[in-house]
Amino acid sequence: MIKHLSPEELNKRRHLAVQRRIDGATVADAAKQAGLSAPTVIAAYKAFVAGGWAGVDVKPRGRKTGSGRSLDPDSEQTLLQHLFAPSAQACLDSAGLWQADGILDWVQAQLGVALTGRSLTRLLQQWQLSAPELKATLAASPPSTALQRWSKDQLKPLEARLRKQGGTLLWGGLRRIVNPLDGKPCYQLYVHAGRARQFWLLSEQPPLSGLYQAFFERLLAAFDGPVGLVFHGAQLSREPKIQDWLTCHDTSFRLLAMPAQAPSASRKVSTQTTLASRAAPGSRIAHTDRSRTTMALTHLQRLEAESIHIMREVVAEAENPVMLYSIGKDSAVMLHLAMKAFAPSLPPFPLLHVDTRWKFREMYSFRDKMVQDLGMDLLVHTNPEGIEKDVNPFTHGSAIHTDIMKTEGLKQALGKYGFDAAFGGARRDEEKSRAKERIFSFRSAQHRWDPKDQRPELWKLYNSRKHKGESIRVFPLSNWTELDIWQYIYLEGIPIVPLYYSAERPVVERDGALIMVDDERMPLQPGEVPMMRKVRFRTLGCYPLTGAVESDADTLPAIIQEMLLTKTSERQGRVIDHDSAASMEKKKQEGYF
Amino acid sequence: MAHVSDLISTDIEQYLKAHERKGLLRFITCGSVDDGKSTLIGRLLFESKMLFEDQLAAIEADSKKFGTQGDEIDFALLVDGLAAEREQGITIDVAYRFFSTDRRKFIVADTPGHEQYTRNMVTGASTADAAILMVDARKGILIQTRRHSYLMSLIGIRHIVVAINKMDLVDYSEKTYNRIVEEYRTFARQVGIENVTFIPMSAFKGDNITSHSERMPWFHGTTLMGYLETVELDEERLQQGAFRMPVQWVNRPNLDFRGFAGSIASGVVRPGDRIRVQPSGKESTIARIVTHDGDLEQAVAGQSITLTLADEIDISRGDVISGIAAPAETADQFEATIVWMHEEPLLPGRPYLLKIGTRTVTAQVSEIKYQVNVNTLEHTAAKKLELNAIGVCNLTLDRAIAFDPYEVNQDTGGLILIDRMTNSTVGAGMLKFALRRSQNIHMQHVDVDKDARSAAKAQKPCLLWLTGLSGAGKSTIANLVEKKLHARGQHTYLLDGDNVRHGLNRDLGFTDADRVENIRRVAEVARLMVDAGLIVLSAFISPFRSERDMARALVGEGEFLEVFIDTPLNVAEDRDPKGLYKKARRGELKNFTGIDSAYEAPENAEIHIDTTQQTPDQAAEMIVAVLKERGMLVG
Repeated sequence: MIKHLSPEELNKRRHLAVQRRIDGATVADAAKQAGLSAPTVIAAYKAFVAGGWAGVDVKPRGRKTGSGRSLDPDSEQTLLQHLFAPSAQACLDSAGLWQADGILDWVQAQLGVALTGRSLTRLLQQWQLSAPELKATLAASPPSTALQRWSKDQLKPLEARLRKQGGTLLWGGLRRIVNPLDGKPCYQLYVHAGRARQFWLLSEQPPLSGLYQAFFERLLAAFDGPVGLVFHGAQLSREPKIQDWLTCHDTSFRLLAMPAQAPSASRKVSTQTTLASRAAPGSRIAHTDRSRTTMALTHLQRLEAESIHIMREVVAEAENPVMLYSIGKDSAVMLHLAMKAFAPSLPPFPLLHVDTRWKFREMYSFRDKMVQDLGMDLLVHTNPEGIEKDVNPFTHGSAIHTDIMKTEGLKQALGKYGFDAAFGGARRDEEKSRAKERIFSFRSAQHRWDPKDQRPELWKLYNSRKHKGESIRVFPLSNWTELDIWQYIYLEGIPIVPLYYSAERPVVERDGALIMVDDERMPLQPGEVPMMRKVRFRTLGCYPLTGAVESDADTLPAIIQEMLLTKTSERQGRVIDHDSAASMEKKKQEGYF
Repeated sequence: MAHVSDLISTDIEQYLKAHERKGLLRFITCGSVDDGKSTLIGRLLFESKMLFEDQLAAIEADSKKFGTQGDEIDFALLVDGLAAEREQGITIDVAYRFFSTDRRKFIVADTPGHEQYTRNMVTGASTADAAILMVDARKGILIQTRRHSYLMSLIGIRHIVVAINKMDLVDYSEKTYNRIVEEYRTFARQVGIENVTFIPMSAFKGDNITSHSERMPWFHGTTLMGYLETVELDEERLQQGAFRMPVQWVNRPNLDFRGFAGSIASGVVRPGDRIRVQPSGKESTIARIVTHDGDLEQAVAGQSITLTLADEIDISRGDVISGIAAPAETADQFEATIVWMHEEPLLPGRPYLLKIGTRTVTAQVSEIKYQVNVNTLEHTAAKKLELNAIGVCNLTLDRAIAFDPYEVNQDTGGLILIDRMTNSTVGAGMLKFALRRSQNIHMQHVDVDKDARSAAKAQKPCLLWLTGLSGAGKSTIANLVEKKLHARGQHTYLLDGDNVRHGLNRDLGFTDADRVENIRRVAEVARLMVDAGLIVLSAFISPFRSERDMARALVGEGEFLEVFIDTPLNVAEDRDPKGLYKKARRGELKNFTGIDSAYEAPENAEIHIDTTQQTPDQAAEMIVAVLKERGMLVG
């Protein structure tokens, strides 16, 4: 409560408390009368003893803006103008170069603020004055043969010589930045010495040889001993004046041009740019040359882009879309792609889980955690008729269970909420009849699919127009394969249900399949005793209908390895596919997703 | 051979790293029914070890049941999907297959070879970088081979490999191979196909698929797999083009963020780049390239991204963001090649929805310049395009769009046409160029407008559109209405079907295409008259719903009154005032509405007149009453 007092009120109370103490009241009484805590009273009295009545007053909390260690907007503007003013000389250091120390001094002297180095760094970054460190960039860039050769043949000997002579190796170059005052381009000649110290000069025009010379001369003055400069961003070898100057200063100044990104590296960033290694915000690498570079996309990048395109089309054209969420790995990838497609917004649709009540318990807890972590809306629908009649795979068999709980449940949910477009995670490589299904698949008002009446899908043009009552199932993962899904999960670190990883689990063996005893609803046949086996699931559905496989794969690479070496296809674990070759197709015509 | 299979078991992480960097090639296979396409795809899947044992076991079982290859595995069964076509033993739709090798990942579009399925082939080819054209070595170049080649060049596939298959059945004869190559080269020159590679092979036996066949030592070219692994991807060409991004969706999570989401159709973009929004022409600068994983320093064609701009300018879905150095063209009239994909033929003048990039507009084919015979490549005159027909047409849009010629960019030059009634995708089109007149003709602003003209006449203009069968009583009722209005001092005009056909439309017949044009002209004339402030009556059979809707769309909201003169066919035929039904029944009149041409009755007509219940005079009174009620007759 005391925290919310104004300084005036607080001081009044402190004075009162000190007066009471002087009058001989106990700390407790003084505290009570003044409405302060005992420690505050003690502190106020101590302050009185030390400094008299003036010492009792507290200082205003926090720093006044502009008076402490950061700049108020006006001062910031003054500094900005000063830094970018063409004729500004005042905070150049003794050698005639811009650097952080000189600026800090200037700010202290002119604006009366003891700015911290960190605050200044932030400002310089904001104004693009802070150049990326070439050396770090080089270290981060993938090895190319041209750079390696250059490093071995030229850089290393220079380093060795400077070390022997007690000289300094600088890394720097020319970069184009934007003047924040007028938005016009402006050029920065910069170098980095050790410990992230940066020195620079600015020029409104592309620098002429005179400026380079002045820059080099000032560098010579700023450092003891000979200077070696690894330079990037401008071709100086064809400037006779600079070459003359370099010849004159041969013993004290060495310029080493860094090869422009080796041709293979700049033309095909392909091999280096992977999904995982995209530049994070703040770690932008400023390109000194503005030439356009093409970039071969990896197959996963192309698949990702296609899926995102599809999702955005649906959101732009459908009235009430929803994403079916089955908690499996394909759903996980689809949800992840949706987060990407609409960032920084959340995906503008809810998730729908058609719950058969027979999923694994771990699937339910995973589902709830994911939804909470991402902040998505989740709708859960269970066919009420199924609940009423207690439909389950044991007494009703897999066909009826799937039909009532899954197919009917889905139709009910879509109808109930009036969804006109539903994203599903089906892939064309899963099963033969899927290979011919379109990405936008239309369902009549009765949710039937007619494989003879599919709309042609050309280029990226999807026709999502439909009649009232019709709905679309959209499959953004159509062109992904099982390997793509796993690899993407691996690369992007997408969370998946732990059941995919191998662990000791209680199972019984039935009809050649290992069925996990996930809860007490599972009726055990006479003589059946659940055994602990090291198993995992290649696909997740209702637990009584999903066979486990014995496996030791408990990491993603191990799972992928197992998948690639296994000789049976993914859906074999699902009981529903076993009937006949055309079973899935029939189910789909009836409305199964 | 195909996988670095050893790595899978020894160093899975290394394998994943290698796999992750693979590019993606999409290709299409085409050929005649028995050229062995499905067998080839099955073979490619098999060779790249993409088959699981259970699949192979199932195939072996199926081979005995349906197979056409005796005791050997029939690879075709791997890829023939749907039950119906399995029984027929042919593929009928586009199916997509997936496999990968050490160097690339592949998506194959498998399309049928039947003549009636041009649409499927065009669909499959639209996303392909390369095409494999199957030729049966025993049969050589067939009409179908030519047709497929033409389609591939039409759809802009830049790399074609002619797979001369079933070499095992011609004793691996070099002479046969050379003869086919020579024949195809001659033909390819006519069509203008440049990049052709020839490979003799046997998909069934596996010759020249992944390794050079010992049975054809005379062949020194690349194997099929070698070709597929190295052929150039289209994405590189597109990335070198000018920047284009059709805006898909405007992302507004809060008031401080306004992002424009889309897929880059061509070029490269970076923050700081100047852009132009088209067709509005507003300019700005790219501020950020936003993705879920952080901002990008650069994005290229093929990526799906979100852009923010430095300025607050109005941009919505369908606009195109272009690099300022080379912006797209904008126009509303084009010459385009249209592939028709629906049983209902394309009729010039009928309004369709046109989707290009992310924009949907209303469009009409104003003229079919010629139809291309896909077998002979001859140009023939056409008044309509039937299913699978290809025509070069003039397109008129209801507003200007940004575009590039299709051959430059498929994403900003390719379009689909959608039927407004059935919502089906009925056609695909490729823009060639803008018609000059669309760039030179602008709407002229006039000061005296419709409101001023109608105020002077003390009435509100409208269009009374009478529709019904021949002999229903349209002209009779329209005539009575006009007399009653004229007596009240209203300014009217009656456009009568028969009269117009004596003048303005005397060049038109009674085919569906001519009927559509007939109504289009009448609707345009009626629009001018409504603009002049008149109460216009039109009495035309106007049998098609879409043309009546077009007329409705031409005039203002509330100015169109559809009057359904509802007379059952037998009643109209009994009346037969002009003796036309009798003629039609005798077969002397073709395309007579109600007899051998359809009449689509209105579903939501403003006025419904049942002539079996009302006399013409009652009907006319009723129409005048509706006009009064709607405030059309001010005086």
